[in-house]
Amino acid sequence: MGTATLPASNKSWVDKLPIISHLKMSSGLQRGMLISGLALTGLFLIAAIFAPLIAPFDFAQSGNANGDFPRQAAPGGDFIWGTTSGGYDVFSRTIFGAQTAIFVIIAAVVMSLFLGVLLGLVSGYLGGWFDRIAVMLSDAIYAFPSLLLAIVMSIVISQGQSKVFGGVMAAAISITVVFIPQYFRVVRAEVMRLKAEPFVESAQVIGASPWRVMFTHLLRNATRTLPLIFTLNATEALLTLAGLGFLGFGIEPTSASEWGYDLNRAMSDATSGIWWTGLFPGLAIVVTVLGMTLVGESMNDLNDPRLRRFSRKKAKRITEAGVGA
Amino acid sequence: MTRKKNGLRLAAAALGISALALTGCTSSASNDGDASGAPSGDASGAPITLGTTDKVTSLDPAGSYDNGSFMVMNQIFPFLLNSEPGSPEPSNDLAESAEFTSDKEFTVKLKPGLKWANGNDLDSKDVKFTFDRQLKIADPNGPSSLLGNVESITAPDATTVVFKLKVANDQTFPQVLTSPVGPIVDDEVFPADKVMADEEIVAGKAFGGQYVIDSYNKNSLISMSANDAYAGVLGAPANKSAAIKYYADSNNLKLDVQQGNIDVAYRSLTPTDVEDLGKDSNLVVHKGPGGELRYIVFNFDTMPYGAKTADADAAKSLAVRQAAANLIDREAIASEVYKGTYTPAYSYVPQGFTGAIEPLKELYGTDGKPDAAKAKKVLEDAGVDIPVSLPLQYNPDHYGPSSGDEYALVKKQLEADGLFKVDLKSTEWVTYQKQRVTDYPAYQLGWFPDYSDADNYLSPFFAKDNFLSNNYDNPAVDKLISEQRGMADAAERTKAIEDLQTMVAKDLSTLPLLQGAQVAVAGKDVQGVEKTLDPSFKFRLGVLSK
Amino acid sequence: MTITSPPGQVPSPLAAPKPAKQKGGGFLRYVITRFLLIIPTVFILITVVFFLMRVTGDPITAALGGRLTPDQLAERIHEAGYDRPLFIQYFEYLGQIFTGNLGRTLTDNTAVTDILTTYGAATLELAINAVLVALIVGIPLGLVAAKFRDRYPDAILRVLAILAYATPVFFAGLLLKLIFGVWLHWLPIAGRADWQTELQLTTLQAPTGIYWLDALRSGNMEAFVNVTQHAILPAIALGLLTGGVFLRLVRTNAIGTLGREYVEAGRSRGVSEFRLTTKHAYRPALIPIITVMGMQIALLLGGAVLTETTFEWKGLGFKLAEYLTARDFVAVQGIVVLLAIIVAFTNFIVDILAALIDPRVRY
Repeated sequence: MGTATLPASNKSWVDKLPIISHLKMSSGLQRGMLISGLALTGLFLIAAIFAPLIAPFDFAQSGNANGDFPRQAAPGGDFIWGTTSGGYDVFSRTIFGAQTAIFVIIAAVVMSLFLGVLLGLVSGYLGGWFDRIAVMLSDAIYAFPSLLLAIVMSIVISQGQSKVFGGVMAAAISITVVFIPQYFRVVRAEVMRLKAEPFVESAQVIGASPWRVMFTHLLRNATRTLPLIFTLNATEALLTLAGLGFLGFGIEPTSASEWGYDLNRAMSDATSGIWWTGLFPGLAIVVTVLGMTLVGESMNDLNDPRLRRFSRKKAKRITEAGVGA
Repeated sequence: MTRKKNGLRLAAAALGISALALTGCTSSASNDGDASGAPSGDASGAPITLGTTDKVTSLDPAGSYDNGSFMVMNQIFPFLLNSEPGSPEPSNDLAESAEFTSDKEFTVKLKPGLKWANGNDLDSKDVKFTFDRQLKIADPNGPSSLLGNVESITAPDATTVVFKLKVANDQTFPQVLTSPVGPIVDDEVFPADKVMADEEIVAGKAFGGQYVIDSYNKNSLISMSANDAYAGVLGAPANKSAAIKYYADSNNLKLDVQQGNIDVAYRSLTPTDVEDLGKDSNLVVHKGPGGELRYIVFNFDTMPYGAKTADADAAKSLAVRQAAANLIDREAIASEVYKGTYTPAYSYVPQGFTGAIEPLKELYGTDGKPDAAKAKKVLEDAGVDIPVSLPLQYNPDHYGPSSGDEYALVKKQLEADGLFKVDLKSTEWVTYQKQRVTDYPAYQLGWFPDYSDADNYLSPFFAKDNFLSNNYDNPAVDKLISEQRGMADAAERTKAIEDLQTMVAKDLSTLPLLQGAQVAVAGKDVQGVEKTLDPSFKFRLGVLSK
Repeated sequence: MTITSPPGQVPSPLAAPKPAKQKGGGFLRYVITRFLLIIPTVFILITVVFFLMRVTGDPITAALGGRLTPDQLAERIHEAGYDRPLFIQYFEYLGQIFTGNLGRTLTDNTAVTDILTTYGAATLELAINAVLVALIVGIPLGLVAAKFRDRYPDAILRVLAILAYATPVFFAGLLLKLIFGVWLHWLPIAGRADWQTELQLTTLQAPTGIYWLDALRSGNMEAFVNVTQHAILPAIALGLLTGGVFLRLVRTNAIGTLGREYVEAGRSRGVSEFRLTTKHAYRPALIPIITVMGMQIALLLGGAVLTETTFEWKGLGFKLAEYLTARDFVAVQGIVVLLAIIVAFTNFIVDILAALIDPRVRY
């Protein structure tokens, strides 16, 4: 199978890990999509982790021992993707941009998954006034265009300053605030639906406590969509970060490299036919989002019995492995 | 009609004098009144469209204090005094004469029989109403603070207005009348106690300038045509009608002027755009002197060795500023970051103004170039620990998107020889404004003048308790600033302004970096653009034709 | 973005439907309760926006901070009343709203209601265009993808759909500017019309503000062509975003339905069981579709901010971003109230439809 490199002795639990189990149960094109998604995401991760090793220059370096770098130089020579209007190397900034992106993604995903799922679960199961207030709040926040809410939040949180940590956290928290309602709605809707299912009723009849019902029976089932939510949230975090950067609420260019900011600066280059300053950071966003979405979609398909393609022989193994997701 | 002709001849003469018209337009080089770019009878010109990224806050002069609104007001409202294209000096617009009739009285005589575009009479009542109204409304967004020196206004007869001033012989007062507080409004249309909505102004046809607005779509499209009732210094426009199209994004403006969808692009194209448009054979890039000044402010309390720091030492603190002044390479910033859309500023008063000298060129660096050895010596002589760590703030969203590149380069220049360690940060505009006074030891600001007088670059910055609030206090400077305003003798005043620049250059309350050039890009069939890019910083659509 | 796949993975697809729990009375009562919930939703939003905006600063500092001394600024802020206790300002504002007075914008002195109608028309036009593109692209291609499920056409379409989602609209805008603005010059890349056309359309008697409609009504075909040319790129940029979502949604549900029909038909050959299936299994699958469609409205409005900014389409999103930077609370609040009402109503309709289809969803 696709995971031949793994030691056989580990197979029992390794096989249950989300991505690996999905890889094993996939086949044909579905597997192709999953693998290409994993490859693109891997590329992103490698760029993020090894940025200082891969990038020839620092993200805010505009000169070296040989003098200043040329500004807006076309790709070629020392600068394989050219230089920006500030004299920075586009390739180095694009690679370092992955680092900024991953910080924001991790922070935003962890926070919004945790809070959004928890609130959705509690609200959907308990119902009553808590549910109503939560729904109202989430509706209200949801009604505000998300990017604008993120802008307001980033002003409130970072006071508009450009520090790296502040900038990253501001983006992450803004994104969290925006996405809690969305995941809240999905999880809550799912819980409401599951609540009427026989297995929940039977648990209630047996006398299980609400918390037990929620966290054992419901959480497990309501979060089947978790991988999808996870990737959607991650991609959305990245797109929001880029949107913030594009609108000028991002991170200062000498503090960190951020793709959205670079795109913002590249707009006026583009109208003068200077394509390289915008193309590469833009493609970096597209490739990263594409990779993560492919992984998420494939996993979602594989989790959904209606969409899954598998041979009869595999069926049994999958039902066991798939639940762990 | 004679009056009108006279105005035109003056305009043409001014053109001849003006050494500032960079790109010659052959027809305007002639001094003959009729051949000048402002024809009297044959205003056959096709409509002219101007694109801009500026915005209109309000057409009501009492309700706005910004370039975008003022630019439109200049087309549609008359002034008592206005400057002719090519010159920053005030000349009579509605006024027949305007002068100090005593130390504290400035008397303006209006031309007789003036009318508004809607047929109402334009007389001294309107003028008194205008300025009383400014002071009464004192809108938070308005320019009423420019009338700080006005005690009261009286209108003894239909063509006479007397301004009673608080400070005698205020030489800046004629300039104030050309400033954003100066447009005269119709007392029969405008309310006396509140700002009027733009739509109502348009509906009331309360126009008295070169143009009337025919169709008004705020911050989207304004279309105007010549106002026959106008009898001021600007004369009849060279085109029959003009339109202003508003853009949010400078690169859309750039593409539209390049594709011929609009005739002129004015404020603000990015340096990259200007450079690229310069290569286009169908377009001409016009540049004129600009009043915009970009500079670094030092807070005398919180900067390194500042008065409120643990190791306060005025001499060391001065050395730090002087070292920075020695290290800055303005030429590099202007050419690399701004590609010539800004020029180096070696003074506090931009070149082109009466009295402007370049003291920073002599005092710091070598021939306008940075000098690291000098900087090092200054620091060592004062006993400053090297490297100096200097927190530096800039704003990325108010002074154009290139601020980031500009300050990255400043940081690099200061750090190049190991004398400084710069901690560069940027902050969003509103927070920036709240924090700059208290929190920032050194920070970026920019200035656009209210009117074309050197004083507008001195009083607001270096008088005591100025808007910078950077705790700079030099009694000699403060004294000379208030004295020069009242100097009726032009030579004496120029001398004072020159002295002031040298005094401040020694103290380095602020460090000027760049002076902005006015840039307009026009199709090559458009004539007259260079006439209006003068040190009055008023863009007049009336001189354009094609 | 949105949840593109319906959470419909029922472990046992034919779980016996339970009779709906009629906890709080009938359907009508649910509708009324749900309707009344709109009021607090909008109210909460106004409150949140009000206080958030005050935290971010005031319009006077934004406009004049670079010209006046701190004392002068403070004085002007005091004159404008922004230094009064927040709660007083808040209740004053609420009082205004109740009388239907949304106020005048602080930064450009225009009635907020004028802003809403003028720029709202532009946004509506963009939204209509985008939904058209989304439907034209999403539904047929979604069916194609389902038909060729897991074969190359399907894979290609799905990757394209993901690409549509993965490309930020401003990056698409940058590429389009390069292609059409710099290299090809085929289509305009900014604005809603040429200035000549715009002038003709805005000087019409009682314009609707929806340019193509105005052009058609005045019988000005030249203007109509011009307006359409300007509308193409923004509509595609925003429409593809939504279209990709539609495509995936249609595909998933088409596959689900097809699969189930096939299974049922093969297994039972009985009409009654088929009906059972459609009634109990197919209907719930509609809910996610409706929910997603509803979500798209909010999304469209959100996406419109970037689309409008990128293509200089002067609509509500564009103005909102502008007023936000200028800290014009009055304008921001006004626009947000309108958006909130639109979204709250959409959610209301979505919930009512969902309840009609599946009574279990009711409270």
